[in-house]
Amino acid sequence: MQIKINNKPYNCESGETIFSICKRNGIRLPTLCAHPDLLPSEGVCRMCLVETNQSKGLVPSCVQKVSEGLEVRTETENVNKARKINLELLWADHAGKCAACLRNGRCELQKLAKEYDIDGFKFVPRRKELKSENELDLLKDNWSHVVADEKNPCIARDSQYCIECRRCVRICREMQTVEAYGTNYRSSNTNVGTPYEIPLDCIFCGQCSAVCPTAAITEKDEIEKFEKALADPQKMVIVQTAPSVRFTFLEEFGMPPGTFGEKKLVAALKALGANKVFDTILGADLTIVEEAAELIKRVKNKGVLPMFTSCCPSWVVYVEKYYPEFIPNLSSCKSPQQMMGALIKTHYAKKEKFDPKNIVSVSIMPCTSKKYEAARSEMKASGRQDVDIVLTIRELARLIRKKKIDPIKLEDGKFDPALGISTGAGMLFGSSGGVMEAALRTAAEKITGEELGRVDFEVVRGEEGIRCAEIEINDLKLRVAVVHEIRNAKKMLEDLKSGKAQYDFVEVMACPNGCIGGGGQPVPTSPEIRSARIKGVIVRDKGMSIRKSHENPVLKKIYKEFLGKPGGDKAEELLHTKYTNRKNIS
Amino acid sequence: MEIVTKNWEKINPLDINTYIRSGGYEALRKVIRETPLKVVSEIKRSGLRGRSGAGFPTGEKWEISAKIVADQKFIICNLDESEPGVYKDRIIAEKNPHQIIEGLLIGAYAIGAKRAFIYINGHYKKPAEILKIALEQAREKEFVGRGIMGSSIDVEIEIFSGAGAYICGEENALINSIEGKRGEPRLKPPHPPVSGLFGKPTIVNNAETLANVPYIIKRGADVYSKIGPSLSPGTKLFLLEGAVKNKGIFEVPLGTTAEDLIFNSLYGGGMEDGKEFWFAQIGGASGRLMPRGKLDQLLIYGPSEYPIGAGSILVVDKMADIKDLLFSWADFFHRESCGKCVPCREGTYRLWEIAKWLKNNDLKERDRENIEDILWTLSNTTFCPLGNFAAVAWSDAISMFSEEIFGK
Repeated sequence: MQIKINNKPYNCESGETIFSICKRNGIRLPTLCAHPDLLPSEGVCRMCLVETNQSKGLVPSCVQKVSEGLEVRTETENVNKARKINLELLWADHAGKCAACLRNGRCELQKLAKEYDIDGFKFVPRRKELKSENELDLLKDNWSHVVADEKNPCIARDSQYCIECRRCVRICREMQTVEAYGTNYRSSNTNVGTPYEIPLDCIFCGQCSAVCPTAAITEKDEIEKFEKALADPQKMVIVQTAPSVRFTFLEEFGMPPGTFGEKKLVAALKALGANKVFDTILGADLTIVEEAAELIKRVKNKGVLPMFTSCCPSWVVYVEKYYPEFIPNLSSCKSPQQMMGALIKTHYAKKEKFDPKNIVSVSIMPCTSKKYEAARSEMKASGRQDVDIVLTIRELARLIRKKKIDPIKLEDGKFDPALGISTGAGMLFGSSGGVMEAALRTAAEKITGEELGRVDFEVVRGEEGIRCAEIEINDLKLRVAVVHEIRNAKKMLEDLKSGKAQYDFVEVMACPNGCIGGGGQPVPTSPEIRSARIKGVIVRDKGMSIRKSHENPVLKKIYKEFLGKPGGDKAEELLHTKYTNRKNIS
Repeated sequence: MEIVTKNWEKINPLDINTYIRSGGYEALRKVIRETPLKVVSEIKRSGLRGRSGAGFPTGEKWEISAKIVADQKFIICNLDESEPGVYKDRIIAEKNPHQIIEGLLIGAYAIGAKRAFIYINGHYKKPAEILKIALEQAREKEFVGRGIMGSSIDVEIEIFSGAGAYICGEENALINSIEGKRGEPRLKPPHPPVSGLFGKPTIVNNAETLANVPYIIKRGADVYSKIGPSLSPGTKLFLLEGAVKNKGIFEVPLGTTAEDLIFNSLYGGGMEDGKEFWFAQIGGASGRLMPRGKLDQLLIYGPSEYPIGAGSILVVDKMADIKDLLFSWADFFHRESCGKCVPCREGTYRLWEIAKWLKNNDLKERDRENIEDILWTLSNTTFCPLGNFAAVAWSDAISMFSEEIFGK
């Protein structure tokens, strides 16, 4: 089919919306509620209005489907008038405290306000400056129902920034099926919030903060804690960086998604004053080796199967809260972050003769949920919290900007070698299917005792929500599945329950496409952006000299000197954990 | 001319036998011997239009659902009635509940629905109670439930009490409400007759519309279609209020003029003593303002300069303060906006804010400009018609009485 937009012909398929065709062809349309992860759109912001030859008034392009003979005009007088008035209305209902805002310069509302010359207030501003935890009760009774929620360990909400676009409501319901958000009150008091305005009770995945157009929902900001640690001469600040953030870090500084930024990331951390920068990939490799051992043991001893990966804390909490009957299926392995954390404050501290109490262990993550994981009471292999501060890559970038550091101009940095050797397998952790592929590389060699010819398991790569495959290793047949987004995980669990599906090993990541689409990753996010990031990961894995976790020389050394055997007593003590039934407990 | 109000004084709403004696449930008996499509075509030929405001042809609506093959279909009687000044559906339910139930059963049969709902405004406690009793009696008489009148037709009716939100009169918001969701309009298409309640074909009809159905079946489409103008036939319940002498409900054929309704001694009987006609608001808070010179307009469904909405006529005399009226309209729509789309949520709030200042004679120059912008965005950019409604009376008032509102 062909339609005309602003007098130029464009090809399209029936069923497409005007908005999607414009987007594909680079025709600018403002929106505050439409999002590529939330299709079809609901059309609540009334910003993407256009005029067509087939309807009398203005039509929202994000919901209007194309039809034969359609002619669209995207920039008429009425269109711009509508956008401007609606923007003015929203602007006066918004906090409008840009300078101090976490999203300053990355806010979709601010960007549109600039584009449409909104200066000052046409209408009297409605939101007053109110914030802080102890004011919560007071705020609840405030006529405009401003809610500042700081009780969630990972996500901060401040409704004075909220423009009621409902992306969070939808992503939480449609992608994650958690439904932590809803719409409260009505009319001009309409407020996106939680049921009965209890503190946000969720699985901490942070997808809401990744799609929020303003700063109404953000990661819980811990920059200050980090700065304090850096400024304290008594403290040894040891940073680890997650596999995926090296592929997204430079997006925060204007580079395209998928750009490999490991060296600049390390350099920037050193420039900030971090004493040591280690690579979480070593933790990932440890996870793989331990998990492969656990899987082989479960298969051989007829243990509980399928085994679920446990590196995604949101997935773990989801099982604990909603499907506790599956807790025995969760691998007992800690996540890479926590394995690293445990090693830093035990093995490494001992070796370097540091007092672990002076170590501040910091991790840079693609994830809001890791903040919760680090604070879990089980995560004290060293006797104290193994990881002290978790920063999302967004927070780190904010700090770097605040300190006026331009990472692109910095000289390349290198991980400190003690715990800083990377493998391709660990690199793969960044995207959905990566843990599975890395684990298969190791498991296959452990089972056969022979070296793998081809290390790529393409069958587990891809972007579908649930990908299944049968892998044959000698005479052992493994039925594996790779799942991302909780809606798919829920389906997988239900299929297991009803006997519709049978697996031996399942990888689950709560976020779309895995950590590469994590809730703490740079904004904006979309399927295209995530694809570009994944491409970066795959290319990098191919170029690595060591592609299998168990061949990581640092890892081998640690096992030899300290841990003993995978799955052995010492490893069990430091690298494995337990889970809790959290059903009906909030 | 009486169709809906006929027999009101003869019928005891709490006794089904009085309804049956006046010829009640004969239409249902007649219908179940016909094919459903024949019933649909009869309603279609009658020209009956929805009585809640939009005036969509009822038969055409039924036909859409009737022709769809689905495992489940629903029909819902819309008794949410929350337009200020409109209470006709409540009175029908109180005076003759079986008329609604019979109409609903006929509709259910015509489209092939096994389940029907009466969605009633949460504030309507008494009519809900009356309907409940009527429903029990109809069930005892085997008009409702399994095997209606010894046939193999099953129709269950359930009374569903809303929470009294204006927006829940909008059919999609109403459907959301029954599904247990927030009362908000949905994106269309799909329209409810194709995909409505729980994604199944669903017909939502106003109570007054359904109350016309038994008459049409009994007397035939030809008789009905000859009442009033051919494009908008039948009678309509009008509600007269304000400065008119006789207030209340009057059933007249469509196509009557407002002049006739207000000044004819059979109906309104003219203005209250000592009061002088200023203008009339036709159709409730969402209705247009009709000046003296336009009183000869025919009140009909379909294309018309002054849409009759649910049928209320508020007569305003020259003593009234337009600023009070502006505030009451703005206040109503601000309160009742569902909060889904930006222009309605924020626009109705701003209009209310300005109405407050206006009432206190505290209007600034910039507010005058803002009024225009708000009314424009409400009229042109909102998600559902509620936003448009909010601007109707205001727009008329601003253009007609600019001097009274803003001074010279």
